[in-house]
Amino acid sequence: MKDFEPRIVCYVCKWCTYAGADLAGTSRMKHQPNTTNIRLMCSSRLNMEQIMESFKDGADGVFVGGCHPGDCHYLYGNYKTQKRIMIMHRILKDLGIEPERLRLEWISASEGKRYVELVDDFIESIKTLGPLKLSSNGNSIEKEISTK
Amino acid sequence: MKEIIYYPGCTLKNTAKNFEDSALACAEALGYKLRELEDWYCCGTVFSLTSDDLMHHIAPARNLLKVQEAGEDRFTTLCSMCYNTLKRSSKRINEIEDDREKINSFMYEEENDYEGKVNIIHFLELLRDEIGFETIMKNVKKPLKNLNLAPYYGCMLLRPLEAAIDDPDSPKVLEELIKVLGAKSVYFPFKNECCGAYETVSEVDFVVERARNIIGNAKRNKADALVVSCPLCAFNLDNRQKNVVIKYPDFEGMPVFYFTQILALALDLNPEVCHYNLHYQPVDDILRRIEQ
Amino acid sequence: MKRMGLFICHCGTNIADTVDVEALAKRFESYPGIEISTTYKYMCSHPGQEMIKESIEKYNLDGVIVAACSPTLHEVTFRRVTRASGVNPYQCEMANIREQCSWVHTDNVKATEKAERIIKSIIEKVRLNEDLDPIKVDVKRKALVIGGGIAGIQAALDIADAGYPVILVEKDPSIGGHMAQLSETFPTLDCSQCILTPKMVEVASHPNIELLTYSEVKKVDGYVGNFKVLIEEKPKGVDWDICTGCGECSDVCPISVPSEFERGLGERTAIYTPFPQAVPNKPVIDTDNCLKFKTGACGLCSQQCDADAVTYNDDPNYREEDIGAIVVATGYELYPILNIGEYGAGEIDDVIDGLAFERLLSASGPTGGEIRRPSDGKIVEDVVFIQCAGSRDPEKHKPYCSRICCMYSTKQAMLFKHSVHHGQPYIFYIDIRSGGKGYEEFVERAQREDGVIYIRGKVSKLYRDGDKVKIIGVDTISNKPVEIEADLVVLAMAMVPTPGTDKLANTLKVGTGTNGFLQETHPKLRPLESITSGFFFAGCAQAPKDIPDAVSQASGAASKVVGLFSGEYLQLEPTIATVDEEKCSGCRICISVCPYNARVFDEIKGIARVNEALCESCGACVVACPSGATNQRNLTDEQISIMAKAILSVEEEE
Repeated sequence: MKDFEPRIVCYVCKWCTYAGADLAGTSRMKHQPNTTNIRLMCSSRLNMEQIMESFKDGADGVFVGGCHPGDCHYLYGNYKTQKRIMIMHRILKDLGIEPERLRLEWISASEGKRYVELVDDFIESIKTLGPLKLSSNGNSIEKEISTK
Repeated sequence: MKEIIYYPGCTLKNTAKNFEDSALACAEALGYKLRELEDWYCCGTVFSLTSDDLMHHIAPARNLLKVQEAGEDRFTTLCSMCYNTLKRSSKRINEIEDDREKINSFMYEEENDYEGKVNIIHFLELLRDEIGFETIMKNVKKPLKNLNLAPYYGCMLLRPLEAAIDDPDSPKVLEELIKVLGAKSVYFPFKNECCGAYETVSEVDFVVERARNIIGNAKRNKADALVVSCPLCAFNLDNRQKNVVIKYPDFEGMPVFYFTQILALALDLNPEVCHYNLHYQPVDDILRRIEQ
Repeated sequence: MKRMGLFICHCGTNIADTVDVEALAKRFESYPGIEISTTYKYMCSHPGQEMIKESIEKYNLDGVIVAACSPTLHEVTFRRVTRASGVNPYQCEMANIREQCSWVHTDNVKATEKAERIIKSIIEKVRLNEDLDPIKVDVKRKALVIGGGIAGIQAALDIADAGYPVILVEKDPSIGGHMAQLSETFPTLDCSQCILTPKMVEVASHPNIELLTYSEVKKVDGYVGNFKVLIEEKPKGVDWDICTGCGECSDVCPISVPSEFERGLGERTAIYTPFPQAVPNKPVIDTDNCLKFKTGACGLCSQQCDADAVTYNDDPNYREEDIGAIVVATGYELYPILNIGEYGAGEIDDVIDGLAFERLLSASGPTGGEIRRPSDGKIVEDVVFIQCAGSRDPEKHKPYCSRICCMYSTKQAMLFKHSVHHGQPYIFYIDIRSGGKGYEEFVERAQREDGVIYIRGKVSKLYRDGDKVKIIGVDTISNKPVEIEADLVVLAMAMVPTPGTDKLANTLKVGTGTNGFLQETHPKLRPLESITSGFFFAGCAQAPKDIPDAVSQASGAASKVVGLFSGEYLQLEPTIATVDEEKCSGCRICISVCPYNARVFDEIKGIARVNEALCESCGACVVACPSGATNQRNLTDEQISIMAKAILSVEEEE
């Protein structure tokens, strides 16, 4: 689908992937603009409900970025993330959502080039999969604000 | 008996019969039947260096297709030149879908499309990685004692990196083979110097100089014979010795063996498979030495 | 209702050329909660900061969003401004629309849309932020320096001179590193030992420095200001408290093995002191080669020892130390020749690396300073230096330049000529890099005074030919191939981090870059700090460099340490985990997942608690908690959720 521009939210860890994304910027490397990062202290801060909510809120793809195994700033947070994502893949499959829409990558602070390559690759793969069709794709944010 | 498809190439069927027959016999003795690919074509000889010259890859592609149609996903070859061309072509065609599609549509007279899944290995890789030097050592019946051999690789097995079967500057496979056969592998820094390749067609003098240097270096390092793995190298280093002697009358020649011939000797196979009559430089001295 | 201000930075053209900042400011003017939405050319400049201050006052703001560069760069800056205006600094957040937006995209429309998404998510985060106060912890004012080469020595001395205690840990029996192996240093041709030894002695006798050689750091726990370090003192086999350093033990030892200090060109005994000026000047026993350890026989050294210091002790000693800051100065090693097939792969005796040649040049070296070739001891007459052996070679070896080789090969060629007057040195080079002070003049001098011949071209191959080494190279300036028959070949091998650096980096939790060197926070502005607080770098462990730069960096690291120690207390980030006592059921799952043991069980109340000083804000416990009792300050589940919604719900402009 040529006109389809995927909406992708990325949960990235501050120490590695976020820093790698910054390095890509400092080095002026280019990639497609479909992803937006949310900075977490560690990828293990991301729980499964949030991943599901992301899809429900309109994400066509969810990207999770953490430190390479053995290098987690918090020692073994990334191992927890890995286990979680593996389970999430199974759950997504059972729910009829392509598990490829959820991607986990290890990107270190010095891997600006790798960050760009993986992000572009993920966007391309989501373009190939097409938009995620779920029954409710609410624009709930406006509602939430107005009630505060 | 394991089987693997074998691609001979043009030279192996003619001037390099000694290479082919000794190789087939050795393979069988070590448990591998080299089954010749039916309906094989010329490999194209040289890998085209221009990136948009897709036509030149038709020849290799056709052979890859034939292997696929034979129901296999890999094959082996003896000629280093064929190996180099087929390896690099197959890498390009297998990895780039666009190129493969264009080639397939050009080869419309073929019944099937090439799917890009066939790989080639050189016979030395088969010996090293699948049969294994331990097995070869166990099968050695006549260790080649008191023999100093210079392992000569030439270029095609080692360059470029994408085709290399070993480290281009410190290759070890021939040295290790020579060792398990009981002979001594001499220090031979000219082991990966170019033999002159097909300059032999129009610039014989160039090949004469190279052959003289290569054999000279082998001699300085006390080698009794050269061990090669390519029919073109064998021609340039063996047959062209007659041209060297014309230009340098005091040139001392040296016999040249294919690695499969020394393997056949050590495995004590029928010497007829080695077709020593095809050599220029006589090998009798060496053969005699081994018998002692 | 929170009153928030949005300040979008042009950053000159860095952001404004790609992202339409003015349109964005306009778009957000009527966004719920935004009282002021404006732009400025350089928000981090003084007028920019003033604008924020004034806006906070004028509009009575209690939340600030600065859409500009990465928070890694300026979060501290804008939080300072916010605090100065009387608003809690944690109510200020940055939206990264530069590094992660304008600098990585080319389509202006799409980049602007993405910037809108980013800004929206940060506004929604700030909307739910609480006021927070940094957590104050004590600082242990004691430093650890890992590595006793010139960089580690300098750092230790500077920290100790400032009045703080330092432990210097070195894995070899003596400090001094590679500088102790050098004959003379460029460009002054100072005797290396002469300028190094006084510093080594100063370290050993300094009241504030505790020197632990033949030791390694095994484990580091804790955080900046409060590290717990486990050091292993390897068994020396000799009691150094009693040993007088007389050296008679080595005199009687029957074993001879290649000496590491002499780079394999000389030998040492099994009980040995690495070199005469070693500090401490006491021997250790090489248990792999000592007969007593291998077979139970011999024992000559202990018989000879008048002080009865030879104990053959086999057990390591472990020490735990409380440390406030750590300087990593583990240095370099040379890329092994065996990796380069075209240069003999380490099998030709007369092809050696630069450090081995230093030992030949050194008056206290294995040949007494006479330049004799390793194969047969003949005096070298033709010596060939090959530059960039393994460096500047992205295809097969190291892509980077090792920085010092042009200079040390020049120096070695000169020193060779001073020793062998009729000899001829040749240097094959790609470029000559001589950027330091006095360096270019030094290279000129080598050519003018010592007749060093520089040949511009790579050596494609070298091999043994009779008793010589044949060099096949090229002179690209005259366009001719060059063949030389050399007595000796000296390879300027690439500089790589000392083997084991990656393992140590893992233990310390500091990062390493693509080539294995320690990763600094910012290559330009913070070249000697690690992203992990409390670790500082000095010397070649961070990148190849010469002695003046190593010493400067070491002093810089020391000053960072002293700065850390000079405050009353350390402030830690307060974005830590919290426990809702009502919801906590006391299941203790959070306690088992915390890597820092920062969760404790309150026996009386039957719930879990967070130890504020230990919590590192990773968030693992938040996710693990089955009842949702744990959350994270200013990064709550609700905040993450609403940030995602903000990102996903922005409508694309048609």
